Amino acid sequence: MEIQFSSLDDTLARFTLGGVRPSFANALRRAMISEVPTLAIDDVRIYDNTSALFDEMLAHRLGLIPIKTDLATYSRKETCACGGAGCPSCSVTYTLSVEGPKTVMSGDLIPQDPEAIPVHDNIPIVKLTKGQKLVLEARAVLNTGKEHAKWQPTVICGYKNYPVIAISDVCDACGMCVEECPREILASKGKKVAVIEEKLPECSMCRLCERACVATGIGDEPAIKISAEPGRFIFVVEGDGSFPVKEIMQWAIQYIKGQSDELEKQVREISGDEKK
Amino acid sequence: MIPVRCFTCGKTISTAFEEFKQRRAAGEDPKKILDDLGLSRYCCRRMLLTHNEIIDELNPYQ
Repeated sequence: MEIQFSSLDDTLARFTLGGVRPSFANALRRAMISEVPTLAIDDVRIYDNTSALFDEMLAHRLGLIPIKTDLATYSRKETCACGGAGCPSCSVTYTLSVEGPKTVMSGDLIPQDPEAIPVHDNIPIVKLTKGQKLVLEARAVLNTGKEHAKWQPTVICGYKNYPVIAISDVCDACGMCVEECPREILASKGKKVAVIEEKLPECSMCRLCERACVATGIGDEPAIKISAEPGRFIFVVEGDGSFPVKEIMQWAIQYIKGQSDELEKQVREISGDEKK
Repeated sequence: MIPVRCFTCGKTISTAFEEFKQRRAAGEDPKKILDDLGLSRYCCRRMLLTHNEIIDELNPYQ
């Protein structure tokens, strides 16, 4: 298995994953989306709300705020030593007390743990006019995207096959495919059409070039052929800022490893094999 | 109020709305503003383009 990054920063990663089966690529995608826990507000106690929005609406908006998460400090509620009652090692409490006229922002939430702050402090929650008031207490817990999308650490997370474009000798450089390609990855070079190398990963394999080639009357078989390279995938992963994309990938891989170890253990138990 | 996240992809778009609103009111081309704000996908772009803020109309009736 090899990973080659074409770009990597805290919120966005593009890489090609080679030497794996499609099932593994999909497992990695699913693990990144739904098995990496993050913090999100789950429980809101509203003491005073005279704003134009209903309590439920406010709670929903608060839940969607991405929160910076340090997975080393927090544990899941079910596995916490407090037994799920809610303690500082499995939940973060936020207080908010604002009086109008003012737009309540995510930065107005005062966290109990200064590390677990909202990723952006300028998310508008509700606009208050003069005399309106909002007082509430919110509790964020760790959970996974399986439960609700607000716990997903990723925004965009997907993959596609690595494209292979083969141009045969029949090509007469008529330029029809170059014109047809919506991603502009083809160019006429001399007596043949060629692929612009650095743009190849952008190919969406729409096969418009194949159709354009056949339409020129070249025969039944197009001179340009699009296929997918088996076992090689282009990934795009964008995080919501809860933690760096690199960490999302590391946690996802750790999860897959843990699951496969568990499977191996269970299979051994059933078959009665001793662990080597 | 502007939705906190994009309905489709989940990107936090509400942070960009204030700047978008101001610059659009100043007569700038929405396409350019959205490009500047880093909203590349059309799901996120429509969130800002098609949003109608009605909270100011609701507020007098509290």
